[in-house]
Amino acid sequence: MDTLPSETDMSKPSDLVQGTLDLLLLKILALEPMHGWAISLRLRSISGDVLQVSEGSLYPALHKLEQEGWITAEWKQTENNRRAKFYSLTRLGRKELESETANWQRLSSAISYVVQLTEA
Amino acid sequence: MRLEHWLFTLPLRIRSIFRRRQVELELEEELRFHMENRIEEAVRNGLSPEQARQQALRAMDGLEQRKEEMRDARRVHWLTDFIDDLRFAARSLRRAPGLAALVVITLALGIGMTSTPFSMVDALIFRPYPVPDPGRVVTLVSTSRDTAFGAFSYREYLDIRDNTRSYEGVVASVSPQSVGFSARPGETPQVRGGMMVSGNYFRVLGVEPQAGRVFRDDEDLAPGRDAVVVLGPDFWKREFASDPSVVGRVVRLNGRDFTVVGVAPNEFQGMFIFMRPDFYVPLAMAPVFSTNPAKNFFEDRDDRELNVKARLRPDATLAEARAELAALARGFERDHPQVSRDRGAAVRTQFEMRTRGDDINWKFSVIFSVLAVAVLLVACTNVAGLLLSRASTRTREIAIRLSMGAGRLRLVRLLLTESLLLALMGGLGGIVVGYGSLSLMQKFQIPSELPVTVPFRMDVRILMASVLVSLLCAIACGLAPALQSTRADLVKGLKSADEELPGRRRLWGRNVLVVAQVSMSLMLLTAAFLMSRSFQQSMVDGTRFADAPLLMARFDPRLVQYDLGQSLRFYEQLTARARSLPGVEAVGLTQSPPLGLDDFDRLAFVPDGLEMPRDRENFISTMDTVDEGFFQTMGIPILWGRGVLPTDKVDAPRVAVVNEQFARHYWPALALADVVGKRLRLERSTGPSVEIVGIAQTVKYRGTTETPTDFVYLPVAQHPVARLVLLLRTNADPLQRVEPLKGVVRSLDANLPISELRTYRDLYRYHAVEGPGVAVDMVGTMGLVGLLLASAGLYGLMAYNVSRRTREIGIRMAIGAGRSDVLRLVMGKGLLLVGAGTAIGLVLGLGVEQLMNAMLFNAGRVDFVAYLVVAPSMLLVTMLAAYVPARRASRIAPTQALRCE
Repeated sequence: MDTLPSETDMSKPSDLVQGTLDLLLLKILALEPMHGWAISLRLRSISGDVLQVSEGSLYPALHKLEQEGWITAEWKQTENNRRAKFYSLTRLGRKELESETANWQRLSSAISYVVQLTEA
Repeated sequence: MRLEHWLFTLPLRIRSIFRRRQVELELEEELRFHMENRIEEAVRNGLSPEQARQQALRAMDGLEQRKEEMRDARRVHWLTDFIDDLRFAARSLRRAPGLAALVVITLALGIGMTSTPFSMVDALIFRPYPVPDPGRVVTLVSTSRDTAFGAFSYREYLDIRDNTRSYEGVVASVSPQSVGFSARPGETPQVRGGMMVSGNYFRVLGVEPQAGRVFRDDEDLAPGRDAVVVLGPDFWKREFASDPSVVGRVVRLNGRDFTVVGVAPNEFQGMFIFMRPDFYVPLAMAPVFSTNPAKNFFEDRDDRELNVKARLRPDATLAEARAELAALARGFERDHPQVSRDRGAAVRTQFEMRTRGDDINWKFSVIFSVLAVAVLLVACTNVAGLLLSRASTRTREIAIRLSMGAGRLRLVRLLLTESLLLALMGGLGGIVVGYGSLSLMQKFQIPSELPVTVPFRMDVRILMASVLVSLLCAIACGLAPALQSTRADLVKGLKSADEELPGRRRLWGRNVLVVAQVSMSLMLLTAAFLMSRSFQQSMVDGTRFADAPLLMARFDPRLVQYDLGQSLRFYEQLTARARSLPGVEAVGLTQSPPLGLDDFDRLAFVPDGLEMPRDRENFISTMDTVDEGFFQTMGIPILWGRGVLPTDKVDAPRVAVVNEQFARHYWPALALADVVGKRLRLERSTGPSVEIVGIAQTVKYRGTTETPTDFVYLPVAQHPVARLVLLLRTNADPLQRVEPLKGVVRSLDANLPISELRTYRDLYRYHAVEGPGVAVDMVGTMGLVGLLLASAGLYGLMAYNVSRRTREIGIRMAIGAGRSDVLRLVMGKGLLLVGAGTAIGLVLGLGVEQLMNAMLFNAGRVDFVAYLVVAPSMLLVTMLAAYVPARRASRIAPTQALRCE
């Protein structure tokens, strides 16, 4: 984030494809209910430096998913006895995750097929 | 799937709207939790707390923007923004309560004053017939030289019904009439309003009964055979407490037993504007009810008493129907030249029927609508002016908002919300005002036993129209100032203290508003003044008899099965006994007293010896049937010759008394004295001869605003009618003679009902004073409201100008201008505007006078007195409105004025 985006035609590789953040968040929450801070830690650990998700865009995305009815929120105590907003997947969210995953796999296999074609 | 979606999201949306504060707090807490964890983590990694905080904030990439994004995610932005705007508007209006109150009151008056006339117009013109598919119900009329809306005879109706193909059915009815009704045989009959209809009436109109059945077509075939009756819904409720077992019961109408077969539905109150018939009987029962006694209802083709309506076939056009009926009418003319000469027939829609040129309701509707629109215009221009001056005092505020980054559209929305709030409050107020004035009209009592109602009411459409009008007002009055103020030059706006921006166009607009207001109000005032003056004038001429202490009572001996001879004997005895009552000075009989509720009969005649035009068989005049005591009792002077005498018996030579207008109309070259002795032929030039034996003074007959009308009086013995009004002239309070009169009637026939038993003055007051009085009051109120609003508007503008120019005035005074100079400076502008407004208003006033003359008074002359009163008083009031702020300006202390920003 300290470097300015290069002026080339190619997008920055770490920029998330549109809608990918939603898919990631749904996937993370499918494992267990979590609060925002834990989700940001998890994002950092699973994607490493390849996928840099700005912490700033995390919360608007979470709120958007909540308003879509895909995740639902609940205020609970953390292990350190502090109040935090825990998000969990709804039935609708699970359906959405399934269809989005299928979409993603179709798309990525198509792209990798195209990429291999040009190399061959 | 959709449902499940809403299951989760709807509570969230609702929460975001109604628990906004809570939702905001949770948003803050969630972010704080994140930030604290982030900072703790950084501190553990060896940063200082301050550095850690900076890093956390940077990672957020603009905390406030993120919050805004999160709020946007709630998708209720438009609504919460609107609520914010409303709050803001309410707050800023509370800061200027005087202005807000003025705008709301102005709008309330404007809308309220408009909704009353509009609901009248709705009831009188636009409300459709209460039947399914009312648009296809048309009225068939007989046309002649004297009327374009005539009735048909029974024979003509049968021919039309059987020989037309454009209609699903053709129905006929006779106007509602007084009927003696008793719920049980043997009870004293009461007078109720019944109506004869053809057997197919309900079926063709598509009216389904709410109990029992309606008439069958075959119940209208044989005269006098099927004594059945269908009750009206109100009558059923009132008289039978909505008892469904009434079907099959026997009631007595005019002394004959009728079986109740059904009850009309609540939606069907009849096809009239003012009348709600109590019950319906088949046309074939006409012998039991009153029809023209001189004619045979079922046979005479010129006994035209039937109103004919028809339902167009879906595949038939109005043009086809018209052509068909016209052809049929030509056939009548050919086959029955004696009675159908010069008669045509026409098909009229409901709208055409209600907007006929001779209809007083239509005339009043037009005049009221014009005036109401004028009031609304005055109110709207006033509001626009007020909002405009308010907007320009906020130049600086708006400039600050714009320079801080507020979007122009957003700002316009904010300002519009403000005027919307004002307009909605004004609209609500208007509905209250409208309800108030309508309920005043509802209180208005019509002195008749017949089921007559005032049909004006607030219905949903009127309310919707009022709300719509106020919304339009808001947009019209709010948009221009809003756009204008956001277009303001930022730098100038910030620099100067709410200064008027240079630019002639804007000032010009406001001046136009004031001129429009002054001229509209002047027009309204003129209308109000003219109306009340013509009204006063109309009460002076030809109505002097109304002050006499007269008691009236109507009798119809047919209700107890008297034949005509018995009826006449009854009246002879009645007048003889009434004359001998103590305190009674004179007694007279008339078919319908002048200025009463009933219309007069018409007399067809030919002045003897006059060569009739080739295409014309006779002339028509209104007439009354009276006895020898009438002229003296009523106090109508006989100018020449004599009145009716007791010797004008059935076997004596036939005589008539005509009024002065009649004499001058037909013998313009002769002196009144020479008209006495002239003869009339009744019906046609070969008809019975009648000698004119006297000339009576011309009075008002149908209404006080009428022009002089031809009138003929025939003696009751020679032109017998059964239904007559007895008039008693008393020497004290007429009501003291009520009981003695009842005693007299009881001694003659205990079962005979007395109707319309009241003082003549009551009738006169209703018909001639209170009815038009309502109209005069309404127009007067409109005029006053207009004047009030225009003065307020002018005052507001002048006061605003003065406050705007305080500094300039200060400078002028500091360099030597005197008070009178300042007064002249400020007043000059006001004078100019008022002058221009007055000039235009006078022209508009003349226009309205022409309209009113043409429609109501037929005076045809310009009433200069009205202008001499109205224009100066308008000038005076508006000058006062301009003077008060001007005087204030002239009192400004220069030192203070210069110090003020």
